[in-house]
Amino acid sequence: MEKVLEKIDEITSDPYRYVAHLKKRTGKKIIGCFPMYVPEELVHAAGMLPVVIWRGNALVTWGHSHVPPYNCGVTRTFIDDAVKGRLQFMDGMVFHVRQCLQAGEFPLIIERNVKPAYMEILYLPPLYEGEAIKSFLMDDLILFKESLENFSGKKITDDDIIKSIGIYNENRSLLKRIYEIRREKPEIIKAKDIMKIVWSSMLMPKEDNNELLKGLISKMEKQEIKPEPDRLRVILVGGLCQTINFDILDIMEELGLIIPDDDLYVGSRYFANKITDFEKNPIKAIANRYLKKTPLCPTKSVWDIHWADEAIKKMKLNKAKGIINVIVKFCPPHTTYYPDFKSVLAENNIPELAIQVEHEIVSFESLKTRLQSFAEIVGGI
Amino acid sequence: MDVKYKINRLESTNSIRPLVDKHWEGLRTAKAKGELVGWASGPSFIFPYAMGMKCHFMAGYASYCGGIGAADELLKAAESIGELADTCSYHRLHTGMVEAILKNIPINEQAKLPMPDLMVCGRYCTEQAHYSEAFYRKLGIRILPLELPFIFREEDRPRIRKFVLRQVKEVVIPTLEDVCGKPFDYARLSEILSVLKQTAIIRNKCWEFLATKPATWTLWDYAVSMAPVIYMMGDPKGIPYYENLLKELQERHKNGIPAMAPAGEKYRIYWDGWIPWAFLGKFMRKFTPSGAVCLTGRYPWEMFAHPESIDPENPIESAVDWLYGNHGIATHLAPKGAIGKIGELIEEYSIDGMVMFSSKSCRMWNLSNLDVIDALEKKYGIPGVVIEADMIDPEMVSDSQINTRLDALFENIDGRRK
Repeated sequence: MEKVLEKIDEITSDPYRYVAHLKKRTGKKIIGCFPMYVPEELVHAAGMLPVVIWRGNALVTWGHSHVPPYNCGVTRTFIDDAVKGRLQFMDGMVFHVRQCLQAGEFPLIIERNVKPAYMEILYLPPLYEGEAIKSFLMDDLILFKESLENFSGKKITDDDIIKSIGIYNENRSLLKRIYEIRREKPEIIKAKDIMKIVWSSMLMPKEDNNELLKGLISKMEKQEIKPEPDRLRVILVGGLCQTINFDILDIMEELGLIIPDDDLYVGSRYFANKITDFEKNPIKAIANRYLKKTPLCPTKSVWDIHWADEAIKKMKLNKAKGIINVIVKFCPPHTTYYPDFKSVLAENNIPELAIQVEHEIVSFESLKTRLQSFAEIVGGI
Repeated sequence: MDVKYKINRLESTNSIRPLVDKHWEGLRTAKAKGELVGWASGPSFIFPYAMGMKCHFMAGYASYCGGIGAADELLKAAESIGELADTCSYHRLHTGMVEAILKNIPINEQAKLPMPDLMVCGRYCTEQAHYSEAFYRKLGIRILPLELPFIFREEDRPRIRKFVLRQVKEVVIPTLEDVCGKPFDYARLSEILSVLKQTAIIRNKCWEFLATKPATWTLWDYAVSMAPVIYMMGDPKGIPYYENLLKELQERHKNGIPAMAPAGEKYRIYWDGWIPWAFLGKFMRKFTPSGAVCLTGRYPWEMFAHPESIDPENPIESAVDWLYGNHGIATHLAPKGAIGKIGELIEEYSIDGMVMFSSKSCRMWNLSNLDVIDALEKKYGIPGVVIEADMIDPEMVSDSQINTRLDALFENIDGRRK
């Protein structure tokens, strides 16, 4: 198990080097897909390698000549990385411009400064009722497929897409299995390692990642763990579009918290919902996965299901005692939801703590104090 | 000797406040009269108007609250329920207003609105859509959703137009018929568009006096005159308002009276982004002593219907073509389209410098401000600065930062003139 985790750590600690090397090794084109909903399967079916664009690990410098500091971490570091030439291994980039206002500005900045050989945009509509939405979404996906064909020079057949869906679905099943094992014995793995595992899936060819995960699962299943029932089980929710600082996860665990499950983007949200019924019309099946209302995402404008209710369900399923809301600083889809989320948890007497995470950590100490208070109040730790 | 600049105030714009007050009063008293009330975001209110509903407009109401000095207390009420400062201040203002009403927190009476029967959610700005969802969650109010994407590539225009038109026919009209219990009133929609077209034609003639050298009036004068071409659209009182304004501008021009005394402006400025509604006076005082006037901008130009795109004979198509037709404006909201549009405005209004008003709580345009300046500076040789503030949140407005940047802009313009 340690060896697999080491390999994953190597990939995620320097994704730039890994992806650049991957390109060299495979000879395939790399397509950066801005989180969270670019259908990677279509890129894969075109014979190229999709990687999910990540929040960088360096201080933003040049990027601030293009983006004000009051934008989220992944926005600022992505632009910073791009204008510094750190993403030159990306042959293409894909943005879906209606996810939030920030995402809408990328095409101009990238095109003016560091335009890759291929740049595509998707509109991906909100999940409003009606056939018009579905039809527009289908058009979006079909046009995307055609654009990928033009760039790759490869005709994408239904069989290609079906094969890619199969590989991606397998990856979802494997990640789900890892989460099931963690639910059964959460002491088995650190929260940051779980996040790295999911992140590795966003970076690696899915075929390679599947093999890696199979090995990991086999070891996790066999490993015996001494339960630590005194630790306080909590569920993390949010973290849209980006990884959260691993040190924050470590602090939580050092304080006696344990995380048996999450509702984070670089977490369970990424692999939720396999694509189903894809044999006849695989693009429609991809659209249907996008149209799923859960896990609830505030960027998709769903109002008849409450995110807090979903989080409570997950908390109960995992026998957890509280919820930590991880709000990415300057993420309006999440911040606009937060008051209602908090209010439903309060009505249900669910302990909740909100932490705003920034790309530049301001103070671990104040965060530690708040987490410690939460642990003491909820769990008597 | 230093010139002492001063704004020559217009007389005709004094009549806007009573019109606007009356409009909002009509909304406040609607429930008592048994009328249905809608709250609308994005340019979607025209459809409930056609059905005789009284309807608010999210940005218009927020600007009104900013203008009457009520924003601060509403934003504080929002903070009490956990709203974070990162969130759009228009959103916070609304959730604060509802919280104040529900909890009987004392606020300006003019800022209180009746709870809506329908949230008309025009998802033009993705963030503004979230407030409709919040009120569904909080109060169970029905939502009428309408996705209104900006056009990022000209080749997408036909399919987006078709998509929006289909939503209007398949979702908007049936929902309104259901809520109002009567067939959709196409004739009334035509009337609204007809009045809007007449108003916009006169408004465009007024705009010509922003292009005169020296300018005859300013962007701030236009900002306070926007209501008749946006949330008061279809109200015939907008026509005499603009007729009087046009008459005054014509007289001024004829008599050689510029917007700025004693003899016209020193700097002609392009203003990008939202209007700082709660701080109009403050910003005027920052520009005027230097002899600078703001004359045009992306927001005041593009958010409002243009007469050539309005055809009252084809009301549904026209209501969509205003945004998505061949002259539709939804392209200029996407940054790439904006560069071309702003360039046209720079030429048409003989602009000397650009001010990009970057709202800290609104990320609609602020990401690409610096790239837009760079592109246009290279093409037209005029400088630009970004100033950071907010439309209505006083905690996000820093005087010294703004003063320094404006001084730098004016010095830069001077330097290039030598």
